[in-house]
Amino acid sequence: MSAVWRVARSAMGRRRVQTAVIALVVAVSTGTSVLALGLLVSASGPFQRAHAEQNGAHLVIAYDTTRVSDEQLAATATRPGVEAAAGPFGEVTLDTARSTAARVGSLTTVGRADPAGPVDRLDLWSGRWAAAPGEIVLNVRQGSDDPVPLGSRIEIPGEPVLTVVGFAYSVSASADAWVTPVQLAALHPTTAQVLYRFTTAGTGAEVDAGRAAVTAGVPAAAVLGEQSYLTVEERFDADIGVYVPFLVPFGFLGLAVAVLIVANVVSGAVVSGVRTIGVLKSLGFTPNQVMAVYLLMVLAPAAVGCVVGTIGGNLVARPVLADAFGVGASGIDAWVDVAALVGLPLVVALAAFVSALRARRLPATAAITAGSGPRSGRAVVIQRRLASARLPRSVSLGLGMPFARPARSMLTLAAIVLGVMTVTLSIGVTLSVNAYNDAVRPVHPDRVEFLGGLRGDLSLPADAPGPHPAPTLTDAGDEAALRSLPGSVHVLASAERTVHLLGSQEKPSVVFSRGDSAALGPGIAEGRQAGPGEAVAPSRFLNRRGLALGDTITLELGGNRTQVTFVGVTLTNNADTIFTGWSTLDVLAPGSRAESYTVQLAPGTTREAFVSAVHARDPGLEALPVRDGTSSQAVVLVGSASLLTLVLALVSALGVFNTVVLHTHERRRDLGMLKAIGMTPRQVTAMMITSVGALGVVGGLLGVPLGYLAHRLVGPAMMRAAQSDVFGFVIDVYHAPTLVLLGLAGIVIAVLGALLPAGRAARLPIAAVLHNE
Amino acid sequence: MTNDDNSVVQLTAVRKEYSDSVALDGVSLGIAAGEAVAVMGPSGSGKSTLLNLVAGLDRPTSGSIVVNGEDLGDLTEKGLALFRRRRVGMIFQFFNLLDDLSALDNVALAAQLTGTSAAKARTRALELLDELGIAGRRNLHPAQLSGGERQRVAVARALMNRPALLLADEPTGALDSRSGEQVMDLLLDLNQIGQTLLLVTHDERLAKQCATRVIHVVDGRIASTSDLEHTP
Ligand SMILES: Nc1ncnc2c1ncn2[C@@H]1O[C@H](COP(=O)(O)OP(=O)(O)O)[C@@H](O)[C@H]1O
Ligand SMILES: [Mg+2]
Repeated sequence: MSAVWRVARSAMGRRRVQTAVIALVVAVSTGTSVLALGLLVSASGPFQRAHAEQNGAHLVIAYDTTRVSDEQLAATATRPGVEAAAGPFGEVTLDTARSTAARVGSLTTVGRADPAGPVDRLDLWSGRWAAAPGEIVLNVRQGSDDPVPLGSRIEIPGEPVLTVVGFAYSVSASADAWVTPVQLAALHPTTAQVLYRFTTAGTGAEVDAGRAAVTAGVPAAAVLGEQSYLTVEERFDADIGVYVPFLVPFGFLGLAVAVLIVANVVSGAVVSGVRTIGVLKSLGFTPNQVMAVYLLMVLAPAAVGCVVGTIGGNLVARPVLADAFGVGASGIDAWVDVAALVGLPLVVALAAFVSALRARRLPATAAITAGSGPRSGRAVVIQRRLASARLPRSVSLGLGMPFARPARSMLTLAAIVLGVMTVTLSIGVTLSVNAYNDAVRPVHPDRVEFLGGLRGDLSLPADAPGPHPAPTLTDAGDEAALRSLPGSVHVLASAERTVHLLGSQEKPSVVFSRGDSAALGPGIAEGRQAGPGEAVAPSRFLNRRGLALGDTITLELGGNRTQVTFVGVTLTNNADTIFTGWSTLDVLAPGSRAESYTVQLAPGTTREAFVSAVHARDPGLEALPVRDGTSSQAVVLVGSASLLTLVLALVSALGVFNTVVLHTHERRRDLGMLKAIGMTPRQVTAMMITSVGALGVVGGLLGVPLGYLAHRLVGPAMMRAAQSDVFGFVIDVYHAPTLVLLGLAGIVIAVLGALLPAGRAARLPIAAVLHNE
Repeated sequence: MTNDDNSVVQLTAVRKEYSDSVALDGVSLGIAAGEAVAVMGPSGSGKSTLLNLVAGLDRPTSGSIVVNGEDLGDLTEKGLALFRRRRVGMIFQFFNLLDDLSALDNVALAAQLTGTSAAKARTRALELLDELGIAGRRNLHPAQLSGGERQRVAVARALMNRPALLLADEPTGALDSRSGEQVMDLLLDLNQIGQTLLLVTHDERLAKQCATRVIHVVDGRIASTSDLEHTP
């Protein structure tokens, strides 16, 4: 056995490039597999995974502590069917609408000493836990926009100042924020929450049964509210679900490319070693020993590559998964690592074994002379045709090379096809995400938005730190002023109210507007703009409620009611906001004033000049900064699409690299001769690049349509997962020039992969190559 | 030999070192147009190295090599490739033909690399194969040819671009004696019609038969030179 190891080691030493390529390819493939498997695993039931990981609550119940004693609450946790419980934790609602941090909205705040516990173990992914009174931790999913920066102070009039010291994430959505129990007590809570996990909670009925069991000994009036994890799951899926149809195909593509490349590299290594096999046999090695040498030669670098790749894969996958699924604490399942660590070497061993078996059967003489007969009949015919083609001879020689090794060429081609397919799909996804984002969050540098005071349904307390002065003109006065100023083209005045949707518990936001809504209102994807008594809404709003265009709903505000009929689908993203005309507000809240004005500026009018002109008329109108059009989801999607594309394109370029290394190795005698009879270094490079460039062209021609088809499936699936209608403009994103450029991706992959080894072939020392023969 | 207008090859104080050995040391040699020079010597004495340097396949560690008026030391890699293409023809012990190409295409290849059209290159290749007596085998592949036939294809390829100098490194080394003699006769014929020839051989009889001068190389140095009177 030691002789086998010695021979294998010296063989590896002699073929340093090949050994390094095996290690590198296996490393990158393993890393890709870890990432791909991690994505596939995370994408299958991301909520269930996160929920299981955090020991999420099946049911959260808020109790009125004035009606139930601590003993009674403690007893609820010991009822049959309760697997674990946490709490009671004091709970208060902080209304930040009147605070310096109005953006965070109203905060259901809970007093908890630490983020761990038997139920609802929080993922504290940024900052630290609240350790002292005056500190607060907000519930934010990793990868979503931070509502306020870490370290911000939340000053609510009449309450202690709270400093944000951390962001934690609760899959159970048990609270919006947490403070220390001492701090919470200081806020005088009358509510306490208890978090339950039940032994069985697979269905709504089982959760209901659990609820009945725990509340059996509690007065009915003491139960203020409850939240089943099934409700939370629905919301979660609408947020996260977008990623699933997008990441799953990348996962499969990644696995496929990794396996293909490894098989190609390993069988190539064995095939190109056939001469050595003959020599070994003539030295008296038994067939089994020859096999062992080959397996060792390949498995040793593969093992190293596998370990490196697993570590690298984890490093890359963690941030991607954390961004997409918001669960970064545990990262990748251990079994994914184990599968990669066992699976990749298995693929390597299998590919090596099959090729080595063929080598084992080869008689010694055949092995020594292998490569000196004409190759396949087809190769010969093609070479004859190419020899008389009107092409530079170096190019036609290169074109013939793939036919001499059809199996290897097919594997290389497959890798290029998958690479191009990935690039095409990922560019498509990026274009779709951008198209959608541009539509729902358009950036209009030529528009200025002015705030004309607080929302009419909120009142500012007398001692509030007033950031903006109140408008000095009337609503109509402001609108008229904005219209009359030079440079103003269109003006839209709007007010927003939370309105009760009659016949449901829902309170959607309604934006009422007057003025040039055709120019400045939300984009309409389907139907038309709202006239009097009409409304428009995003498809997510309609789909969630089973509404369609033509349906009528009744809105109620402050005892006033009116009906509106849906006539259009808007291109907006907020599923809880609908749009209607000012006449509706006149019925619901007569005399309201607009709180925001959007002005479209004429070309050539600068924002600064217009704003100062407005301030001269009404200093109470505050100009808002230009809206940022980016969304964190879009950033994550485009970011991970780019990363995955880069990795997969790199892997398929590595496959090409390996093919050219093998071609060079096997044909170094031919290359030496060609150079001896006057082939210039440039001609050699051209020949080697052509040998895979043709595969790149074919790979592009096949990969682009496949990627296009994949996008046709993935795009609509993503939109449906986001509970949106499938809009044509989001799907039809490929244009002829884009497709042509994508077709070139195959050549780019091929040329990039071939460049280095082709250059090496060109520098091959002739005398040494021919000397060794 | 002095460097006169007539000289095709002029080596001056050529030394070639490899990482672990000195293959040639202080070799000076001139070859006049129309000469046939045979290099002999024990295995490992530096014969192939000498040929490779003259062919521009490798560069000397020191000393100068001028072939057909071109100082090889002045040439870039590309320049060397063009030099090999236009000025020298190379014949190897193991033929070094491309297995996938027919005899005809192997020969035509040498001209096609210079940009000659396929049709023109094939016409010239066929002429040469005809002259060498193997035109009938033109569509066969190397594996279907005998050793002697393969070497004749290699000779045809070496002659494609009408080289000033034909180099042959043990051209009969892999052939049986009868085929070897045929190839030697061929080289002799070529020399008779004016082709300058530098060949390495182990076979003293063959060397004497076709060379005008025999150079003995021992341990990387020219040990002796003997001019031969030729009897055609
Ligand atoms: N590419 C090379 N690298 C290292 N040593 C070489 C190389 N080519 C030849 N040699 C060494 O140079 C010496 C002369 O070799 P060579 O010219 O091939 O001899 P010959 O052709 O006379 O048998 C030998 O010792 C040989 O080992
Ligand atoms: Mg030799």
